[in-house]
Amino acid sequence: MMKGYEIISALSNHLSENDIIVSSNGNISREAYNLLPKPQVYLRGSMGLPIPVGLGLALANPNKRITVITGDGNFLMGLGSATTAAFYKPKNLKILILDNLKYYTTGGQKTVSSVIDYVKFLESLCIEYKCSKRASQDEIEQDLSEFINSEVFSVLHLTIKEGKKDLMNIPDQPEEITEKMILRLTKLA
Amino acid sequence: MIDPSEFITFLEKKFQYICGVPCSYFKEFLAHLASHGTETQLKHVYATREDEAIGIASGVAFSGKKALVYMQNSGIGNIGDALTSLAQLYKLPMLILISYRGLEPDNDFPEHSIMGEVNEPVLKAFKVPYWNLSEDRWTIEMKAAIQKMTETSSPVVLLVKKGVLCQ
Ligand SMILES: Cc1ncc(C[n+]2csc(CCOP(=O)(O)OP(=O)(O)O)c2C)c(N)n1
Repeated sequence: MMKGYEIISALSNHLSENDIIVSSNGNISREAYNLLPKPQVYLRGSMGLPIPVGLGLALANPNKRITVITGDGNFLMGLGSATTAAFYKPKNLKILILDNLKYYTTGGQKTVSSVIDYVKFLESLCIEYKCSKRASQDEIEQDLSEFINSEVFSVLHLTIKEGKKDLMNIPDQPEEITEKMILRLTKLA
Repeated sequence: MIDPSEFITFLEKKFQYICGVPCSYFKEFLAHLASHGTETQLKHVYATREDEAIGIASGVAFSGKKALVYMQNSGIGNIGDALTSLAQLYKLPMLILISYRGLEPDNDFPEHSIMGEVNEPVLKAFKVPYWNLSEDRWTIEMKAAIQKMTETSSPVVLLVKKGVLCQ
């Protein structure tokens, strides 16, 4: 099984100028900052809100592809937003759930994620592209490619192994994160 | 009551999105928005929670566009972290309409009484500037709120009492 930062690293091979990433708070944002092209929307707080932020971005930028990278703790805290996103189904919105079954950032306390059968859950929301599996080195490139290139609203749930790399804290002030993103999204093509 | 059609015409000049969780105090305004949805420029996004609505408005603001959020004041209890660690921290402008429940017309609704008492102190504690929206001076109040929102690039609130956006 792969670790979260290995998957985030692998994701960078699939991104272009047209991709915007929203990362959930804690380790995932730090990994997204250090391992992916910059600038992106790195959430430092607002636990539970990466999907709504991604949904707002997806609706406001139909020509950009928005990928939300969320931990299971964040996903569960804002579980209602899975339904909101599925209701609107923007085809330029992708949700990647990195599920270590833990609040890893705060010390590895258990979440209740293990009770969810993600295939059934995502099926019940009529999500056209959905996949739930253990993240494996052999299949990750294929999995990420299918997920991110699908022409529909898509969700990829990966069970991962906990573990982190020593990475620097995000140096940008939150308002700089905003300024850089607005510049990226409003500059003339 | 403010004429819903005039109100929406005013809003759609400044905002591209509207998102929130309803309160009966917004009944006529939201009914008008629903029945004239195709004519207006304002795109309506339904939210499951008030903090989700702030999150969606934040995504819109990260794009350099603007969203309006509406909620009952009970929703203030749900948005503390969304304001302080997202919308305020990242300097994301948005206008939040909040119904002012728990005043005299709500004497028979004890569920609103405590928030009715504390909602202004709570907004002050969160350092969110707010105005009262009134039937007579609403354009002036809206303009003042929007000017502050733009100048500070941050969320601002308009409190809406009974009868202002509902009959
Ligand atoms: C509202 C709120 N509650 C608690 C926290 C503390 N906190 C920060 S990160 C985190 C864990 C997030 O878990 P998950 O999304 O699964 O990501 P992981 O840490 O496992 O990578 C918690 C509980 C917080 N930031 N905000």
